[in-house]
Amino acid sequence: MNRNGAQVIVVDDDFSVRRALSRLLTSAGYEVQTFDCTRELLRHGDLGRAGCLIVDLRMPGPGGLELQEILAGDSRPLPIIFITGNPELATAVKAMKAGAVDFLSKPFSEEELFAAISHALGGLVSRACPPSKTPIRAASAPPVASRHVLP
Amino acid sequence: MHRGTDALRLDGLMTTEWTDTNRIRTFRLAAMFLTVAVAYYVGAQLGFVLRFPPATGSVLWPPNSILTATLLLAPVRRWGIYLLAALAAHLAAELPVLPPLLVFGLFATNCSEALIAAAGIRWASDAPTRFDTLRRMAVFVLFGGLVAPFVSSFPDAALISALQGESYALVWRSRFFSNAAAALTIVPAIVIAVRNGLPNLRAATPRRYLEAGLLATALTLASFGNASDFLLGLPALPTPVAVLLPSLLWAAVRFGPGGVSICLVATALLAVIAGTHQSVMFVTTKATNAVLALQILLSTIAIPLMCLAAVIEERRQASEALATQLRLEAMLSRLSTAFVHLPSAETHRALEEWAARLGEQLDLDYVVIAECSATRSDEVLLHTWSPSGSGKHRTLARRELPWTDDQLRRKETIILGDARALPPHAATEHALFRLYGIRSCLVVPLEARDDVLGGLVVATTREERAWPEPFVGWLRLVAEVFASGLARTAMEDALRASEGMKSAILSSLTNGVAVLDSNGIIIAVNPSWTMEGANIGNNYVAAWAKATSVAALSSGDAAAGVAAVLARARDSFAVEYTTRDTAGERWYSMVAVPLNFPDGGAVVSHTDVTEWKRAEMNAQRSRHELAHFSRVSTMGAIAASLAHELTQPLTAILSNAQAARRFLSADAPDVQEVRNILGDIVEDDKRAGEVIDRLRELLRKGETEVVLLDLNALVKDVVKLLGSDALIRRVTMDLDISPEPLIVTGDRIQLQQVVLNLLVNAMEAMADCPADERIVSVHTERCDRETVRVSVRDTGPGIRDGDEDLLFEPFYTTKVTGMGMGLSISRAIVEAHGGRIEATNNVVRGATFSFAMRLGNGKPA
Repeated sequence: MNRNGAQVIVVDDDFSVRRALSRLLTSAGYEVQTFDCTRELLRHGDLGRAGCLIVDLRMPGPGGLELQEILAGDSRPLPIIFITGNPELATAVKAMKAGAVDFLSKPFSEEELFAAISHALGGLVSRACPPSKTPIRAASAPPVASRHVLP
Repeated sequence: MHRGTDALRLDGLMTTEWTDTNRIRTFRLAAMFLTVAVAYYVGAQLGFVLRFPPATGSVLWPPNSILTATLLLAPVRRWGIYLLAALAAHLAAELPVLPPLLVFGLFATNCSEALIAAAGIRWASDAPTRFDTLRRMAVFVLFGGLVAPFVSSFPDAALISALQGESYALVWRSRFFSNAAAALTIVPAIVIAVRNGLPNLRAATPRRYLEAGLLATALTLASFGNASDFLLGLPALPTPVAVLLPSLLWAAVRFGPGGVSICLVATALLAVIAGTHQSVMFVTTKATNAVLALQILLSTIAIPLMCLAAVIEERRQASEALATQLRLEAMLSRLSTAFVHLPSAETHRALEEWAARLGEQLDLDYVVIAECSATRSDEVLLHTWSPSGSGKHRTLARRELPWTDDQLRRKETIILGDARALPPHAATEHALFRLYGIRSCLVVPLEARDDVLGGLVVATTREERAWPEPFVGWLRLVAEVFASGLARTAMEDALRASEGMKSAILSSLTNGVAVLDSNGIIIAVNPSWTMEGANIGNNYVAAWAKATSVAALSSGDAAAGVAAVLARARDSFAVEYTTRDTAGERWYSMVAVPLNFPDGGAVVSHTDVTEWKRAEMNAQRSRHELAHFSRVSTMGAIAASLAHELTQPLTAILSNAQAARRFLSADAPDVQEVRNILGDIVEDDKRAGEVIDRLRELLRKGETEVVLLDLNALVKDVVKLLGSDALIRRVTMDLDISPEPLIVTGDRIQLQQVVLNLLVNAMEAMADCPADERIVSVHTERCDRETVRVSVRDTGPGIRDGDEDLLFEPFYTTKVTGMGMGLSISRAIVEAHGGRIEATNNVVRGATFSFAMRLGNGKPA
């Protein structure tokens, strides 16, 4: 199934959500690692092989923003896509300023997800992706634009 | 029946009325002084007239006797005053005709006679002013008629013989007989006239007057006949005595010592008048002899006649006393009969009637029944009778007459033959006696069993009356009858008052009260009793059974409950029931308690509690509405986290579905994987549904539904509901659930709300704490055999000092956005479940809110 070999890491405390995302991403040809919390990821995750992170904003223990902060210290920080069931503008702005690729409100469609992942993986739309029936959301800013925003 | 009484106040007596009385007394004393002086003067002039000139000696010398009578009648302390009066009169009468030295000397000897006589009689006689027994008469004759004249004649004779040169022996003889005759005749006449004259005259019948008139005529004729004997020169004594004797004996037999005394005086006067007018006689007869003859005549016939009169009087009095005694006995027996079956309502009327009868029959001037007041122990009620009619009822404070009160309390009888014999410290009594002119008084206590209920007072104002022992005994018996009547009345009044009180209480009750006998038969109801088919004489239990069978009452076990109370199987029974009639539904509360009677029975009361019920239901509705509102606002507060709770399954469902679509569009679809995915989708959908169910349940505007439920499960549910909220608030939930189920009886939603409120409260309390210190510990436990407890412990700032009591009050809040209703609603809910809610600060930090409830029986539904 892994046609493009890109690896995606999913961190979410909800088992159902983790499994469902894992299935969806796998069906789209991504290699998926899942973790139920930030600590698990930092302890066991293979960040070197990963192309991007899909992280729940709120989790027991350190949440998505804390992880972003931790990873920001890396030489080549992994692009992060935040997902949240409780979207707050302030949090979103903070996350985007800190270099997040995208900020998705649960529940989100596969098109939104895949578009965000494509941005994260370098602006390429995965070939493996089936043609999207809906246009890419305006909110999902192109990576170039994102980079403009970044300091 | 004693309305309209006024109080007899005696305190004024001691001041104003006292001085009035004093003035009256002074005036009276002055009048007496004048009377004595005038009498003495007139007596002296009369003495001058009663002479057979040329003899110097008087046949009768009245002044000495007048003085003796005065001293007998007057109290000893007044003797000085009256002697002074006599001196004045003496000087006025004699100074013009005799040398001064002789005048003073004669006064001294006159006084000596009067003093000896009065002192001797007072010393020896039990009643110095009465001559109605042989003994009293003998004392009088001895001292007044013999000793005093005998002794005083010596200085008298010495004086005259020294100053006038007359023969000592002759003067002594003339003095002795003159004084003896005067004393024997005049003194009793004056004393009896002063003491009894007016009353006797008033009491006398016309026949008596006629008889007195005949006697006077006979005596006059006899006296003049006597004088004519002198005139005719017949032998001096035997014949005149024989002529006089019938009249004098008549007087002695019919008119007593007083009558004899007056007749003797009259005889002497008539004889002297006749003698002086017919002076021819004295030319032939030696004057001194004639005088002596008359004096001896008077003295010798006076003594036996007076004694005879006294004996007859004594006999008469004895038989009168006997008659009186018989009359008293008869009266007492009528009194006892009258009081035996007297209805208590008539006791006071009867008392007054009998007081009047006593007064009339015994010729009293006052009869007072003093009755201790039933309402005020320090007062007595006075029923007064006097000849002028029955007095108004008056009250008298007992302390006004302390001495009398004390005597009566000690059950002493007060016997005062002479009112002046009151002890000196009985000052108010003295004043009262003076005010009413009481001269003798007898007070016997009204005794019933061991109590003194008052006193019976009889008194005289017209005369002093001796109260002989038999009479006192008799009056005590009368008092006993009165007292038993009063005691019975008091007892019946008390009984009636108590009955009246009970009946008044029952009548004033707005709830229906019925008294049942041991068989459940209704024997009494109060006016508010309205139960249908349950009237006096009906069986109450049967009425219930019937009423229940026709479904008018919705409580079926009432009959059994009342029957149990009647059988003394239980101490009380209470039930609420409803009835439905045209006016709508009404609620009643019925209570049955056993009757504390030897025969058993019960008292049941029915109270209409419809209004209370309505108020209670309104309050409950308000509480529900408030609780609902509170839940809605709590939901608002946690809406974001609830949304989060829902988005998780929705996210999973969406992703799973899209994944499945991808799998299915593959060339060789992995059917097993798709099946797994669909299974997950179903689970997640259920999960979302549960969240929504919980929400819906909390937001339901339901009526109370009491069930058995497990607090552990309930707490877990709420914690789950708040899981997302805790996450958002960065609060760690620490759950410590009791291993055994904690079954309670209650309303699920309401109890969930309590737990929800406590948890949200705890989380909100820690908003300002560092994220890693925000810990809520939820703990459920079984405290003892009967109690379970749920505690919610936070690590916030804790409760401000002094706020512990206010926390659960409505609208108390420390939060800017709070309504302050959460905790007060929680308390209302917990207390409605029979539990307790409380808040305490933790030892280290934060606060713990907990509620305890009774463990329920059975298994949760």
